[in-house]
Amino acid sequence: MLWIERQRYFIDFALSSLMRRWRKNIALVIVYTLVVFILASIVFFTQAIKREACTVLEGSPDIIVQRLVAGRQDLIPARYADELRKITGVSEVRGRLWAYYFDPASSANYTVISTERPGRDEGCVLMGQGVARSMHAGKGDLIAIRGHDGSYQSFEVKDTFSSGSELVSADLIEMSGKDFRGLFGIQEAYFTDITMKVRNAQERTVVSRKVLNILPDTRPILRDEILRTYETAFAWRSGILLIIFTGSILAFLIFAWDKATSLSIEEKREIGILKAIGWDTGEVIVLKSWEGLIISLSSFLAGIIFAYIHVFFASSTIFEPVLKGWAVVYPRFRLVPSIDPYQITTLLFLTVLPYTIATIIPSWIASAIEPDSAMRL
Amino acid sequence: MIKLTNVTKVFNKNRPNEFTAVRNVDLEISGSSITVFKGPSGSGKTTLLSLIGCMTKPTTGRIYIREEEISSLSDRFLTDIRRKTFGFIFQGLNLIRGITALENVMLPGYPTGETNCILRGKAIHLLASLNIAHKAESKVELLSGGEAQRIAIARALINEPAIIIADEPTAHLDTRLSIDFMDNMEKLKNSGKKILLASHDPLVYASEIVDRIIEMRDGLITKEQA
Amino acid sequence: MIIDPAVIALFTGSFLVSLIILIASWLGLQIVMFWNLQCGSEKQLELEKWTYLVSTLMAYAFGFEILSLFLFVYTTDSLHNLFIGAMCAAGTLNTGTFGYHTLGIKILILILAGVWLVMNHVDGQAGDYPLIRKKYIFLLVIAPLVLLEGFLQSAYFLSLKADVITSCCGSLFSSSQTYGESPLSLMIGFPAGYLQAAFYGSAFLSSGLGFFYYRGFNKLGWFFTISSTGFFLISVFSLISFVSLYFYELPTHHCPFCILQREYYFIGYLLYGMLFGGVISGAGAGILSPFRKIGSLQGPLPIVQRRLTMTSLFLNFFFVAIVTWQMWHSNLVIDR
Ligand SMILES: Nc1ncnc2c1ncn2[C@@H]1O[C@H](COP(=O)(O)OP(=O)(O)OP(=O)(O)O)[C@@H](O)[C@H]1O
Ligand SMILES: [Mg+2]
Repeated sequence: MLWIERQRYFIDFALSSLMRRWRKNIALVIVYTLVVFILASIVFFTQAIKREACTVLEGSPDIIVQRLVAGRQDLIPARYADELRKITGVSEVRGRLWAYYFDPASSANYTVISTERPGRDEGCVLMGQGVARSMHAGKGDLIAIRGHDGSYQSFEVKDTFSSGSELVSADLIEMSGKDFRGLFGIQEAYFTDITMKVRNAQERTVVSRKVLNILPDTRPILRDEILRTYETAFAWRSGILLIIFTGSILAFLIFAWDKATSLSIEEKREIGILKAIGWDTGEVIVLKSWEGLIISLSSFLAGIIFAYIHVFFASSTIFEPVLKGWAVVYPRFRLVPSIDPYQITTLLFLTVLPYTIATIIPSWIASAIEPDSAMRL
Repeated sequence: MIKLTNVTKVFNKNRPNEFTAVRNVDLEISGSSITVFKGPSGSGKTTLLSLIGCMTKPTTGRIYIREEEISSLSDRFLTDIRRKTFGFIFQGLNLIRGITALENVMLPGYPTGETNCILRGKAIHLLASLNIAHKAESKVELLSGGEAQRIAIARALINEPAIIIADEPTAHLDTRLSIDFMDNMEKLKNSGKKILLASHDPLVYASEIVDRIIEMRDGLITKEQA
Repeated sequence: MIIDPAVIALFTGSFLVSLIILIASWLGLQIVMFWNLQCGSEKQLELEKWTYLVSTLMAYAFGFEILSLFLFVYTTDSLHNLFIGAMCAAGTLNTGTFGYHTLGIKILILILAGVWLVMNHVDGQAGDYPLIRKKYIFLLVIAPLVLLEGFLQSAYFLSLKADVITSCCGSLFSSSQTYGESPLSLMIGFPAGYLQAAFYGSAFLSSGLGFFYYRGFNKLGWFFTISSTGFFLISVFSLISFVSLYFYELPTHHCPFCILQREYYFIGYLLYGMLFGGVISGAGAGILSPFRKIGSLQGPLPIVQRRLTMTSLFLNFFFVAIVTWQMWHSNLVIDR
């Protein structure tokens, strides 16, 4: 009780003393906020994009089988699928058709896929928001795609994908299998690759080993492997970025240290008075800690909020080129907002911890001012 | 109640600028009384008062406050004794600028953790008894010298100390305000407080309410008159 | 080596905490060597000021150690995607070298730092610094552990390589399979019946001792320290061996980390928090008992001790209560 009452007085006084010196503190808060903002943007962005990648992969098949000819990927014969169905534990085998298409008019790369959904009309396509934007096409428009023989074929845009996860569908053009084969000149007996579903997660490695045994000219790719690759790639990128920014953190710390050590005469006088009228060194340290905590928390909070807005509502305008490194098709996409205590703790360790440690000794020095100094002013 | 035996304070010991500010002082002060320390500048009055007021520890010698030996106490306990026993009034008044008079008066009570409404009530009561309650909410830098002086007195009294220590309290005051100040000291003395003053202002040491005058020179007590 | 923001944060954290512990122990060493309260020399006045700095540094170090333990567990948990077969922190810790060593030393440091702060608090209750040398010697014992922690943690993260096949809770903790190399897996093999008996037995013993200690049987001090520590260890042991089963409602899932997750309403934080609080206050209360003889502590120490004993008893009681309640109401069916 007594303790709470004391802390309330200390917080009150810390606040008023920060306010009285707002000119000195405002610069610190701005720089602090900026540092938190940059670091939080990096951390939020990678975390969100990692999650995005996971959602992409969630819908993707457990194993993808590609055929290799002379070390390069080639079309895979449809009869391979029958071989794969014989493997025990495999619940579904399916041939896929997909292609990259470079559109000279919008000079962008798209992914064209075919899905054998019932009722898929020939001569019609579905497209992602990104494609629609860069082709300036909307529902009901006609678009022209250049085929393998150099002739253009036109398709009607039947609909665009809703932007649930834009990263997944932004560059997609979806058409029927017949159109696809006609457009790219692929015979009926071939697919781009074959996908498999394996019910039991633990058997996937075994199944992929069996695939290699039965069809030695293929390459099975496990979804978990892709996931891991993504994870490492993103974690690594953001880690490197953070390391690059350690320079700015150090600069900030030196700035903070300097602010904390360079007490004005007025500040020294105040601490001397407090000591003289009965405040203990420990109590002045508590007061100074509250001051530091108030600065830290307000800057941290502001930095986090700005970063949140920046990453999830302003499409990470500042870091996009560095972090994403994908095709030009993704001009702007929204990441699904997500934030967890883990990211917050990470950021606390990278910003508040160094700041606090940099200011412990200066605030101790300040609090150790002799009480009798007040008698000699 | 206050007892010093053979107290010496040396600054910067074993360094070229070594300086002995107080030398072998033996002193005893008891009862509710007003004691004035008098002497030329640099004679060690302030140092002696800060030793008695538990602000610094003696280099050698013993200081007893209410029978308790204080020079080997921890800083924390020393502070605790200081805020429960002493009220200080400084030469420059030393009010904290930018906050109100009331907050200044309440400041010594913060670390005691007394609830806000009790502390505030006490502060307002003190300000009223010094006829300055109407200035409670003004910022201290806007107060006149006499008003500021009374705020400083109120601040010294907030923790209900038994001993008031004032170092050159009238240095910046004109004659009328100095007399006011001594009147206030007399009231405090009559309410049972012990008062220690350091001053070379005749208005202070020649005042008839003073019980005891201690003269100092070069850190030594040279003369005493009661 | 895995480069991840959280790993960098942990590196930063352990570097900075090591730094402040080094400063604190350097100051502590000076104090141990030159302390003389009877002397009014300027050196002594300086040393007295340093005690404030050391206390502040240690309080911050303790706070950051708590956060660091949290972040460490959370990081290893979130890194599990990188390792085939790892499904939570248990698997990641088993990858690379020193994973469990790092965790263990973090826990040890947390408890010791907590006890140090208790001692420091008691020392502040008396006017003549009665424990000053003892507490700074104790600090000098903690310091190398913090450096060791930094070293182990770095070695662990440097040894991590994505893609290493590891075994996780599933295989790590199931008694039917080979135990692997994890120290935790050894705990599973232990017959749960005996352990249950030990769990309730030690809870009973510890609370009995605590009760009598609280009532003034000072001779029991050390026994209470030992029984509190024993209860802590047995509880962690039990949590892995049988308590976790009731929370997961799965007969073979023994993971000590999964209860920290949202699926289990973060109950793990509460349970571990109570265990740590219980062992710090319990061990602290007992360790202090020899100091009752010191004159200046005769007044304040018994009050602090009683408070600590009470806190420890309460926390342990609620721990046992929650665990028992869960065992009672769980849908788990174990057929023996
Ligand atoms: N911290 C210090 N370090 C070194 N010397 C000091 C220190 N504090 C005071 N002194 C010296 O001690 C001597 C006594 O100072 P003190 O302030 O006690 O004198 P005083 O009698 O109060 O003088 P005045 O009437 O001018 O206020 C002075 O010469 C001063 O320079
Ligand atoms: Mg003076």
